[in-house]
Amino acid sequence: MASKISGGAVLRAAARIIVLLFFLFPIFWVFLMSFQTNQQILRIPPSIFFTPTLENYTALFSGRLQTASGSLDIAFIKNLLNSIILSSCSVLIALILGVPAAYAFARFKFRLGENIAFTLLSFRFAPPLLVLVPLVAYFQMIGLSDTYIGLIWVYQLICLPLILWIVRGYFEDISPDIEHAYRVDGHSWAKTFFKIAIPLARPGIAAAALLSFIFAWNNFVFALILASADKQPVTVGALAFVTSAGIQYGIIAAAIVLSVTPTLLLALYAQRYLVEGLSLGAVKG
Amino acid sequence: MHEKAKDAVASFVAGRTSRRELFGYGAKLGLGAATMGFLLNEAQTTAQAADFDWQYYKGKTVNLLLNKHPYADAIIADLENFKKLTGMDVKYDVFPEDVYFDKITAALSSGSTQYDAFMTGAYQTWQYGPAGWLEDLNEYIKDPKWTNPAYAWDDVLPNLKASTSWSGVPGAALGGEGAKQWAVPLAFELNSITYNKRIFDKAKVEPAKNLPELVEIAAKIQGSGQNVYGIGTRGSRSWATIHPGYLSAFANYGGKDFEVADGKLKAAMNSAAGKEMTALWVDMIKSSGPRNWSTYTWYQVGTDLGAGASGMIYDADVLGYFMNGGDNKEAGNLAFSAFAPNPKGSSPTPNVWIWSLALNSYSSQKGPAWWFVQWATGTEHGLFGAQKMDLVNPVRNKIWQDETFRARIAKSYPGYLEQYAASSPGSKIYFTPQPLFFNLTTEWAASLQRMVAGELPVSEGLDELAANVDNQLKQAGLG
Repeated sequence: MASKISGGAVLRAAARIIVLLFFLFPIFWVFLMSFQTNQQILRIPPSIFFTPTLENYTALFSGRLQTASGSLDIAFIKNLLNSIILSSCSVLIALILGVPAAYAFARFKFRLGENIAFTLLSFRFAPPLLVLVPLVAYFQMIGLSDTYIGLIWVYQLICLPLILWIVRGYFEDISPDIEHAYRVDGHSWAKTFFKIAIPLARPGIAAAALLSFIFAWNNFVFALILASADKQPVTVGALAFVTSAGIQYGIIAAAIVLSVTPTLLLALYAQRYLVEGLSLGAVKG
Repeated sequence: MHEKAKDAVASFVAGRTSRRELFGYGAKLGLGAATMGFLLNEAQTTAQAADFDWQYYKGKTVNLLLNKHPYADAIIADLENFKKLTGMDVKYDVFPEDVYFDKITAALSSGSTQYDAFMTGAYQTWQYGPAGWLEDLNEYIKDPKWTNPAYAWDDVLPNLKASTSWSGVPGAALGGEGAKQWAVPLAFELNSITYNKRIFDKAKVEPAKNLPELVEIAAKIQGSGQNVYGIGTRGSRSWATIHPGYLSAFANYGGKDFEVADGKLKAAMNSAAGKEMTALWVDMIKSSGPRNWSTYTWYQVGTDLGAGASGMIYDADVLGYFMNGGDNKEAGNLAFSAFAPNPKGSSPTPNVWIWSLALNSYSSQKGPAWWFVQWATGTEHGLFGAQKMDLVNPVRNKIWQDETFRARIAKSYPGYLEQYAASSPGSKIYFTPQPLFFNLTTEWAASLQRMVAGELPVSEGLDELAANVDNQLKQAGLG
């Protein structure tokens, strides 16, 4: 039995395809570019048909690109590793500091509480360069210049306010009655926090952690100003393929694919938490 | 055999045999040019050490900040010789050009001692020098205690020496009275025409001799049915749009950016000469420039030339040089031509960009850092870079006279030497030095964009620009 497809459904499907093409085509094109040589990429007119090559990925992993004009040293894998270290350590520390703080702001009213919370949020308002120039001097004085610890500390400017404010909203949405009941049973405040509050807020915490990770991963300016070349993340490292002697488009595309992969996988894995966590924390009942 | 070759090289360094005899002897011993070149470089390094105490700072470490560039590659490739010569160690950070000056500015403005010496452009020293972030290198160059007698500062092209020195007084001439040498030239680029011979032959045109002709030829190429556009120039909203071809042509027509009277600056972009030249320029971009001209930077101009998307460029000669090599599609098809835009018979007046080395005034190791700078900007490293790497254009006369270098360029870069010979005498910085350089030239570029977009007629656009610039100068106490 043939089912009838209405004109509206066809239009809706077509609209979906157009929207998908609009958003996904650039990503698809970059993916294709990562398997082409520079000459193939710069063909006039551009073509979707080509003989794929793995030389861009090989160059990124081997750390050396051989071109007709000589060889180019590539530190991209080191950059990728730096991004992983900086982003994950920063999020971890921000979680350790931010989640208890968010709980305190959500559950307790204390003197200057709102002011402190707003001050933490205000870190996000300041233009990074305004903060960074004096920080270069301070870091040099206290020996934190060009260290991972120093960078992770500065990355708290990105991660901590995000985690604190998202998770705070989430805690506020959870009824305190369950916690009160648990306390009445004779459990300590700390136990209540770890056994009741955190498990209930897990989707919110996961969403906040994921968002912070993405923001930290995409950060560009902190490491650029505060660290030497061997501690730079992928965001800075990818620019090394833009040189006065030419742009290595293929390598840049391969570098984009590799640098997007960890955040993409993480986002796909945590997608459910992300949507649930953000929407629940957003509206107060 | 190796010892014999070393003796032959020593004989050459001592001036007893010619280069041709040296390489001929090497060939008889079965040694290639590369091996002989290596031995020669090593022997010259040893010879340098004889006249000057290069080992004075033995055991010290110099920290460098370098831009990702073929000039930095040449330094890195030759570093072992410096280490051997001085007994010093060198650590370096290489940052991409896109972020390079942000990195330097942040380091210098915060008084960081992280880097002792670094690469810089001459324009940037107009900000860094008067702020007290750079050492005046005159104090080092002119003192025999600090500088190797064989350094031959006089061999550096006079216009480049002047272009990297300034008194810090807004509007005062570069290299004029009381000028401080903020940086020492490493290599430079001047602006001329690089054209695609294949495309030119098909379109049956020759390189233009002046700007009106350039407009015409660019249009012919555009209409030649080759699916290419006529001429590539930069167009983004940046100071970098003004300084290459545009300012070179502007200066050639007699245009000036500012007039200086009683120590005050007055905008002069809207002179009759400036308007005449700008009108031709805007017409040329409109009729034969790239479609997305207002986004074009060094990279797009170069990439299009290398990929055969444009017929020619009026930009840095070394941009054409780089695009004529590597894995570019049009490598081998590019040729070079000097360019004097004003039809009234003038010679070329290319504005220049000079990659230079400067000393951080906060550095605690200025002596070792200067040892490095004088080595990197000296003749021996310059020769190494020019012969074996891409340290082009060299800044020293002696290197331009070197047979090996000239033979290499003549073989692979048709017309480059002739272009250089014609362009070089008039090559210098044609901007008036002043602290608002980056802001005001960016505004100039924005104004040019509006003229090309047809939002403003050229005459009105330049008048409006001059009025805005005057206003900003007054606010800054400069006008």
